[in-house]
Amino acid sequence: MSIKIALAGNPNCGKTTLFNNLTGSNQYVGNWPGVTVEKKEGKLKGDKDVIIQDLPGIYSLSPYTLEEVVSRTYLVKEKPDAILNIIDGTNIERNLYLTTQLIELGIPVVMAVNMIDLVRKNGDKIDLKKLSAELGCQAVEISALKGEGTEAAAKAAVAAAKAGKTGELPHVFTGSVEHAIAHIEESIQGKVDDRFLRWYAVKLFERDDKVLEELKLDKALVDHIDEHIQDCEKEMDDDAESIITNQRYAYINTVVGKAVKKKARVEHLTVSDKIDRIVTNRVLALPIFAVVMYLMYSLSMGTSIADGGWAIGTFATDWTNDVLFGEIVPNALGGFLESIGVAGWLYGLIMDGIVAGVGAVLGFVPQMLVLFFLLSILEDVGYMSRVAFIMDRIFRKFGLSGKSFIPVLVGTGCGVPGVMASRTIENERDRRMTIMTTCFIPCGAKMPIIGLIAGALFGGSSLVAVSAYFIGMAAIICSGIMLKKTKLFAGDPAPFVMELPAYHVPAWGNVLRATWERGWSFIKRAGSVILLATVVLWFMQGFGFENGAFGMVEDQDNSVLAAIATKVAWIFAPLGFGNWRATVASVSGLIAKENVVGTFGVLYHFGGELSENGDEIWAAVAKDYTALSAYAFMIFNLLCAPCFAAMGAIKREMNNGKWTAIAIGYMCALAYCAALVVYQLGGLITGEVHFGLFTVVAVVVLAAFIYLMVRPNKYANNNEVKLDTSRI
Amino acid sequence: MTEFIATNFNLPTIIVAALVFGALGWVVWHTHKHGGGCSCGGDCSHCKGCH
Repeated sequence: MSIKIALAGNPNCGKTTLFNNLTGSNQYVGNWPGVTVEKKEGKLKGDKDVIIQDLPGIYSLSPYTLEEVVSRTYLVKEKPDAILNIIDGTNIERNLYLTTQLIELGIPVVMAVNMIDLVRKNGDKIDLKKLSAELGCQAVEISALKGEGTEAAAKAAVAAAKAGKTGELPHVFTGSVEHAIAHIEESIQGKVDDRFLRWYAVKLFERDDKVLEELKLDKALVDHIDEHIQDCEKEMDDDAESIITNQRYAYINTVVGKAVKKKARVEHLTVSDKIDRIVTNRVLALPIFAVVMYLMYSLSMGTSIADGGWAIGTFATDWTNDVLFGEIVPNALGGFLESIGVAGWLYGLIMDGIVAGVGAVLGFVPQMLVLFFLLSILEDVGYMSRVAFIMDRIFRKFGLSGKSFIPVLVGTGCGVPGVMASRTIENERDRRMTIMTTCFIPCGAKMPIIGLIAGALFGGSSLVAVSAYFIGMAAIICSGIMLKKTKLFAGDPAPFVMELPAYHVPAWGNVLRATWERGWSFIKRAGSVILLATVVLWFMQGFGFENGAFGMVEDQDNSVLAAIATKVAWIFAPLGFGNWRATVASVSGLIAKENVVGTFGVLYHFGGELSENGDEIWAAVAKDYTALSAYAFMIFNLLCAPCFAAMGAIKREMNNGKWTAIAIGYMCALAYCAALVVYQLGGLITGEVHFGLFTVVAVVVLAAFIYLMVRPNKYANNNEVKLDTSRI
Repeated sequence: MTEFIATNFNLPTIIVAALVFGALGWVVWHTHKHGGGCSCGGDCSHCKGCH
């Protein structure tokens, strides 16, 4: 019979470090059902019958955030056999707030006082026996980072689970509050599991919406309970929730007074504070951030070390593309298939479809792994939370908060983790808006498109890449301004309250594990979708009606793909690229954006291996496009719906079909309108477009855009707080 | 006709095709069952998981 132990604690208390320590590689990472909160479960090392459930970091069991609701639902419904409550020993008062709620659940609790090495370094002393006696549950000291005491903590939790007994509940509440809670307990006796009687009673006293909804008590009982609560509120001259909070903290203060001896300190800045004085400085913050980002992208996606640069990622990617999937696999697999006499169509499917498709994805992985590794270091060290803080001041002017910047930043590498990074944004509206706009920033896969257009039509000018990033950021900012004035997204960005964890040397185990998890998740997702779509595309461009018969075609203009694409190519005519090849390339970009270049290569009948930016086909592309139409093509592909893998991520994070459709639709509409305006109005200037219907449409679109940007926000007063000063 | 089949559906082709399409079918099934692909709704409540 397996034992379930839940790990609960505040964010940044060391839960994940302890979880990794206790479970090693025996972990499963997914999502809690129906929400986008990450779910982590693992088996205890050395005892596979013990399952460790890592709960999201929470400050309390209130019903306000997804993480809190997920945690308390798990604790009440799943009823784990024990709770291992991790407490940050250097911040014990705040951490004990959650502890006082956990012990009310009636589940055996073991407290693990973490960061005990730092506590000792500070000269503080925590008397575990007194702490244990005051709170009615065992307390052990650990240092999860150093691996000290973690085994003992696990053993204590397992023993508590097997014993199945809880200690005596401490007297957290006093006077009329305790009296009221006792009344509520009597009123709901028999309606809830006895173990949770106390917890439900306290929640009812706080008028917890979710508990009221869950218990479905009849109105008379609810009114009776409310009378007790109101009596208490009158007596204490405060609202019920505040009364409970105040009494908890008053109790915690007495516990800390008895069990914790803090060394008298002269107030001085910690190392983290000193670093933050520079890193978050009003003047230095942004330049420092720019340098850090430049280094990160140089190392992952810059010039390869083989070409004199620093980018290990590019070097590994070049090797994967040129050697592994350029020589080793084609030679080995192609040679094998030829030697056994496999038919030409199957050979083409495997080599030109599957190997090319899988190779394109896996070629991307080394750069992604290096990027994920560097991002994980920045997260683990504590810098990423500072980034959100730095960008908040700027983003707030455009209706977003600093937390919306992190997904955009991550999205410059790949849109999939960028979209996933939006789950740290608690405000639903802001999160949806961030998901909708994150993919506007050029990701790594869009780089080949930029390279192709820059090389073929603009002489390789680096300004094309710069303008692409500018367009991406402008799309994000303008979208923020416009959408915030709509009913769906109106409201001030949520207050940005964020804990800045102390800086520390990265825990390499955590960093490598996080890198691997993200990388593997990316490979699985992108590989399955891209692999399947590439096979379909291969069939469609390789088969068609030629010389009156259906079969493999010599001329791709006769393929099924060309036949379909020609029928819809007219949609893109106003944008300057209404030919079937551009249509197919744009559609193939939905599989993976770098496919645009590969598709051009196939469609312009280049039979060999294309380089990253497709310079072999520049001459051919230049014949079919003007500079303006090529630029419009680039804008459309940069801004429109992202690749299938990113769309899948959007669907998962939105968790709602309607919102996913809105997001994709918005991106496509914005891309179309932007390309239309650029081509039609630019074409009037260059003389390649004559004034006509679509020019008028472009003018109307531009006027509408300007109006949406500058119109007053009629929802601006949504969050106005009205004070009745007569009561002050 | 016979020549067409002999050229395009010889034994090695049939065996390799069975392996390839079988694997592709497994990818489709696995992606649908366990999510992670673009068609997944993100709702994992129906999935018992692999643990």
